[in-house]
Amino acid sequence: MELGLDNQFKIDPRTKIILLVIISFMVFNEAPLYVSGILVLVPFICLFFSDYKKAAIIYIFLYVIARYIQIYLLPNTTGIVSILLVTFSYTASRMLPIFVMGYYTITSTKVSEFIASMEKSNVPKEIIIPISVIFRYIPSVYEEIKSITNAMKMRGFGFTTKSLKSPLKLIEFYMVPILISAVKTSDELSAASLTRGLSNPEKRTHLIDAEFNKWDYILLIVSIIGLGIYSYYFIGGVVLA
Amino acid sequence: MLNMDNVSFSYAEDENLADVNLNIKKGEVILLCGESGCGKTTLTRFLNGLIPNFFDGKRQGEVYLDNKAISEMPIYEISKYVGSVFQNPKTQFFNVDTTSEITFGCENLAVEKSEIETRLEKVVNDFKITHLLDKNIFKISGGEKQKIACASISAVFPEIFVLDEPSSNLDSKSSWEFEQIIKKWKSQGKTVIIAEHKLFFLKDVVDRVIFIKNGKITYDWHISEFKKLNHRDLGLRQLDLDNLTAKRTDYYSNNDDFLELKNFNFKYKKVPALDINNVKIPKNEIIAIIGKNGAGKSTFANCLCGLKRSFKGEVIFDNQRLKRKDMLKKTYMVMQDVNHQLFTESVLDEVLLSMDEENMDLAENILINLNLIHLKDKHPMALSGGEKQRVAIASAIASKKEILIFDEPTSGLDLKNMMKVSENLIHLQKLGITSFIITHDFELIMEACSHVLHFEDGKIIDNYKVDEEKLKKFFLE
Repeated sequence: MELGLDNQFKIDPRTKIILLVIISFMVFNEAPLYVSGILVLVPFICLFFSDYKKAAIIYIFLYVIARYIQIYLLPNTTGIVSILLVTFSYTASRMLPIFVMGYYTITSTKVSEFIASMEKSNVPKEIIIPISVIFRYIPSVYEEIKSITNAMKMRGFGFTTKSLKSPLKLIEFYMVPILISAVKTSDELSAASLTRGLSNPEKRTHLIDAEFNKWDYILLIVSIIGLGIYSYYFIGGVVLA
Repeated sequence: MLNMDNVSFSYAEDENLADVNLNIKKGEVILLCGESGCGKTTLTRFLNGLIPNFFDGKRQGEVYLDNKAISEMPIYEISKYVGSVFQNPKTQFFNVDTTSEITFGCENLAVEKSEIETRLEKVVNDFKITHLLDKNIFKISGGEKQKIACASISAVFPEIFVLDEPSSNLDSKSSWEFEQIIKKWKSQGKTVIIAEHKLFFLKDVVDRVIFIKNGKITYDWHISEFKKLNHRDLGLRQLDLDNLTAKRTDYYSNNDDFLELKNFNFKYKKVPALDINNVKIPKNEIIAIIGKNGAGKSTFANCLCGLKRSFKGEVIFDNQRLKRKDMLKKTYMVMQDVNHQLFTESVLDEVLLSMDEENMDLAENILINLNLIHLKDKHPMALSGGEKQRVAIASAIASKKEILIFDEPTSGLDLKNMMKVSENLIHLQKLGITSFIITHDFELIMEACSHVLHFEDGKIIDNYKVDEEKLKKFFLE
């Protein structure tokens, strides 16, 4: 029976986490494109080949704009315009690849895949279960924030100029309902999971096996090379060009 | 198969169970009923091992599963024999995708991979849910979520199914589908124990009815005896919806005042989700909004409240022409999860926050009318579900809203609390407020509503004064 588990582009959650860590090095320093280019392309490849084509293109587009601003516009601007452009372009060029990789890791990983993959690496259950609950909880929080925002709008506050004068109040209005429901959710979720045998000390089995495929190796090798160039550029102190 | 021997229990709080003796035979389908807080949920927790494994409290007596004491079994051992479905579909899923959720129990119990594949195929065929595989659980409807929950416990092949208010969030069609699921289990010789308020979909599948009051089993009926009783006298919801009659067949204010909705069109990701050009609805009535899941009821509610940014429609009444931003000021939605709309530290503050100028006398007056004055200094989050709902209503009155929309105000409520909601609605009507109720609750409509809007595929396909025949056609078929 075809269960809709496609055999196309698919990378292991462990690879995703390693890639995320490698790409995070980029936040440390600003490098020319020929140095950081490979690392910038890794999240693009991940997104592009796994049906996030639109997001992939938007990402590259924003990145290129940020770079363009840095190289061609910044030298010719002054004052407030310059400050705004600097803020945007440097945040984007350093942080964007990391954010995008994080987004990809969280949205493309199934909880079951994550558990299978971590168990294969013999990570203890006490660490795996809480992290997998986080994966599970992110969409819940998203739904709740949406609903609280609506509730505020109907009461005539929310992101208006009036309420932004007291941002602490605003944070409180979001946090209280979210915390209350987090407590309730975690309670009910734990109870439900226990009745499904989660506490069984026996080794779990998995419908989907966690295995590295060619994509894992390709991306890992590519990003390690990328990291190598990046570190050589800074640590070696030698400009390659 | 299951024996409860002099079982008593008390939580740190109040709800408890006293001297319960119950023998459940293999293959029986048993309904546990009684008012909210009577102890039926506590009883189910004994059967699935959550007491004593998860909930702490003072416990006496013992429950035996095939002559083995449940309290001496680890909970993962019990889960091989007893499968549980809970009330809230949002919090019983460990996974985000449906397929993994169905196999989750088997994986925990270390069932071989090839066997998991076989079982997955079997339950998918049994429940006819091929179309639901590999979906994001946050993107499917409540009814579909409960189907996945049932499929996922079925995959473990337990002998006993324990269901705690599984139909609370289901529409009538999904409830009837739930009946089919229970029938399936029954035909496989499984034992089913179901705690419920909503009874109508169970009348042809249950064998035995246990009535619980204040933690004690007071009656143990065969279904044929139960059918003859007056369920209202027992504080229960109707077993046979056909017996209900509409209470409000006349309009409250016969003065031809209308709300006119114009250009209620809304597209979601370029797909039309709402498509209403012009509709007139009587003002100051309690209007039921009915329709299947995904018929556009919530989109309509969000548009009417002015919450959809790109929405261009308008509401005309009292010679006023309301655009989106005006609607935001005139309308208010009482959400299904009312926790999301209570923000302050006391009930009184909640009401004062809604006023343009704080007026203590007026605020207290509103609280008196809604029977909340004794709670005015309490934290809203510390109140019961019904009280929270009334606080939300109070804040709406305080901000002078004229149109109120209730999203499923009676889901999971027993008769007593449903009647209270109905009273509140009628109180609002006397204040001149027009209420829209999105609901699957036929009993509430019969009790409080005088007008009906029937939605299908984003359109209003019917707009009528309450009509038993038409409503029964929708709810009973």
